[in-house]
Amino acid sequence: MRNDLADLTDQSGGSGDVDPELLNGIFRSAHSLKALAGLFGFEPIQELAHRLEDILDGLRLGRVALGTAALTLIDEAVNVFGTLLERVGDAEAIADAGEQIADLSNRIEVASHESPPEPGEFDALDLDSSLLRALTEYEEHRLRENIERGRHIVIVESTFEIISFEEGLSELSTAIREIGEVLSTLPAPGETPESQIRFSLLAATELSLNELSSRLNFPSSSVRSVYRADAASGVAAGVTPPAGVVDEIAHEVVSPPIVAHETVPENENLQSLKSISDTVRVDIRKLDELMNLVGELVIQRGALGDIVSRLMSDTKTARIGSDLSKVYKAFDRKLKGLQSSVLDVRMVPLRQVFEKVSRVLRGLRRELDKNVRLEIRGADTELDKLIVEELVDPLMHTVRNALDHAIEAPEERLAAGKDPEGRIKIEAFQRGNHVVIAVSDDGRGIDTDRLRAKAESRGLVGHDEVLTRQEMLDLVFLPGASTRDVVTETSGRGVGMDVVRSNVTALGGVVEVASDWGRGTTISMTLPITLAIIQSLIVRVAEQRFAIPLNSVLETLLVEETEIQRSEGREMLNLRGDALVLRRLAAEFCLDIAEDDGRRFVVVLGMGDLRVGLLVDSLEGQQDTVIKPIQGPIQVVDGIAGATELGDGDPVLVLDVASFFDDSSRGGREAA
Amino acid sequence: MQQILIVEDSPTMRALLTSALEALETPVKVTEAESGFEALRLLPRNSYDLIVTDINMPDINGLELISFVRNNASYRTIPLVIVSTEGSERDRDKGVGLGADAYLVKPFEPGELRDVVRDLLARPRRTE
Repeated sequence: MRNDLADLTDQSGGSGDVDPELLNGIFRSAHSLKALAGLFGFEPIQELAHRLEDILDGLRLGRVALGTAALTLIDEAVNVFGTLLERVGDAEAIADAGEQIADLSNRIEVASHESPPEPGEFDALDLDSSLLRALTEYEEHRLRENIERGRHIVIVESTFEIISFEEGLSELSTAIREIGEVLSTLPAPGETPESQIRFSLLAATELSLNELSSRLNFPSSSVRSVYRADAASGVAAGVTPPAGVVDEIAHEVVSPPIVAHETVPENENLQSLKSISDTVRVDIRKLDELMNLVGELVIQRGALGDIVSRLMSDTKTARIGSDLSKVYKAFDRKLKGLQSSVLDVRMVPLRQVFEKVSRVLRGLRRELDKNVRLEIRGADTELDKLIVEELVDPLMHTVRNALDHAIEAPEERLAAGKDPEGRIKIEAFQRGNHVVIAVSDDGRGIDTDRLRAKAESRGLVGHDEVLTRQEMLDLVFLPGASTRDVVTETSGRGVGMDVVRSNVTALGGVVEVASDWGRGTTISMTLPITLAIIQSLIVRVAEQRFAIPLNSVLETLLVEETEIQRSEGREMLNLRGDALVLRRLAAEFCLDIAEDDGRRFVVVLGMGDLRVGLLVDSLEGQQDTVIKPIQGPIQVVDGIAGATELGDGDPVLVLDVASFFDDSSRGGREAA
Repeated sequence: MQQILIVEDSPTMRALLTSALEALETPVKVTEAESGFEALRLLPRNSYDLIVTDINMPDINGLELISFVRNNASYRTIPLVIVSTEGSERDRDKGVGLGADAYLVKPFEPGELRDVVRDLLARPRRTE
């Protein structure tokens, strides 16, 4: 073993590359040594052997950095064993050595916990590994940001007395904050650890090192440059890649700014390849199958993640958990890549739908003898193919309505001072995790009085009911509220906005209407980008759990019952000045209310301009969910979009976010 | 009686942790620190048998605290438990890599915390 160890030391000192077989060999020797140690029947020796085996295991798995520190410790251990073996009969001598052995064991244990620095983004920085290893993800992000912005990174070190460090440290931090950002504060034992404590502050600033030093004239403090942003990195900052895509890549690759340079032209190449159009026609059912499989994998990934967490929370298995966690992370990355690729395949631009609508419109235009121009924007906006297919009908109806009812005859328009040629605009754009398709016209607008009268005659609205202007406009979504008395050939019957709304709601979206009398109307459809795999927030209400699609969740809050106001039969919350309508999930689904501790969580949902707050008992985390529609003999209940499986295998119902908005969801913006 | 130090900036969370730990069969004395800085001040004054800490805290974060504790000969062998939000796997791995003995994710069952703590407290502490 000694010989092997000498070889190892030589090898690692040289190229740094070590023969894995050599490591393995030493590890196996240590294993036998452990068995031998058992013969001594002396615990400290067994412990030492155990620790030695651990660190060697760590070395060969790459978990521990192979450096002089580790090698010295191992060498020492091997020597101790050698000596012990020589003294095997001398029980007294062995007992004496007990303390020394225990100390060595300790040191080996600490060393084996040190993981090798991850091939770093931050390698270019002259940073102590101890500081790097104590940066949280958020702090890493701040560091990265500052580097990208071309700031200098420095370390300001200062030692304080333990009894009074806060004051001095606070003064120092404040001084730094005046000319930069404090990224991280790392404490370390001072020279006399019992009474002193040393702090290393990682900071970003635009000042040069000299300027900084002169500003921070504190006793017993020193400033050191860790990264100097120069002209070159100024350029790199300029190459700031489009957020999202290359951000991911920067994570995986060694030196971000430079690689960013390389990937930008690559993207351009991809673009041009696309336009040459090497395409394959695929049966959409095959895509659905692929999607399902990926969905199943996502669920399993969730379960795996749970197990990793459980392993890491048990001291006996934390280390195995850590190993598994590395594998899990790699798997997770690949799965995410697969997921987005498959999703990408399903995405189609809205162009096809828009073109179809255009064609029909052109035909109609002639028939109705209306002078209308159609404008289309955002045809490149992509949506899941299934959603796009379902959109054709509602979109067509909406545009027909606009053409038929909204746009006035040329003479009428001229009389109103408008351009004789009417304009219908279809615009699509992405807003966060949703896509909005807006159909707007510059026609006569919605006549709210007539609409209301019609609704009243149909018994949909009470004669004395007070409605806000928006509520009156929203009447257009009620069945039978069409204000046309004559059923025209083109629009036909039952092509009311109620059908459009139910179609869009079925896709998990919402429809909103805005209109100006005499000026025009806009119908906006807000849809989730994809139906298939989405992130959900898991909540608990009265013993039951539900999943809420995360893309509609704006925020979550914890409130006291006393903060909830009641008004006109509704419960509301004052959220930063606006009134947020609340709905209690327990009441909505007639669940037994759990014991009340006076506090509730509020999940604020938002789609388009609509807002609503759902009251639940507790939040239980997030996970990727594959929404499966509920079929068969089970009745579909309003408010439920489907079901999914949680990581622990339990089935859970998924809420249909859109169904929780009603006309009151505009909240405080329009006082009743 | 064994002493446990809790480092956590959220008052609600502190209360939860304390009540969970006070329900241990073998009574323990729980001291609450509302920030990393307070922990730094308390450490030299008492002899703690276990530390429970959050990760995301304003002045020094949990990882920095763990690094300090593990690098300090006087506290090096104190068992450390991290209790943090689901937020970051990366932070969790760093925590265990820096020498934390266990990592629990909020929301956790109080029983889970007690199991981990009981286990760690029962181990013979290696003395320097």
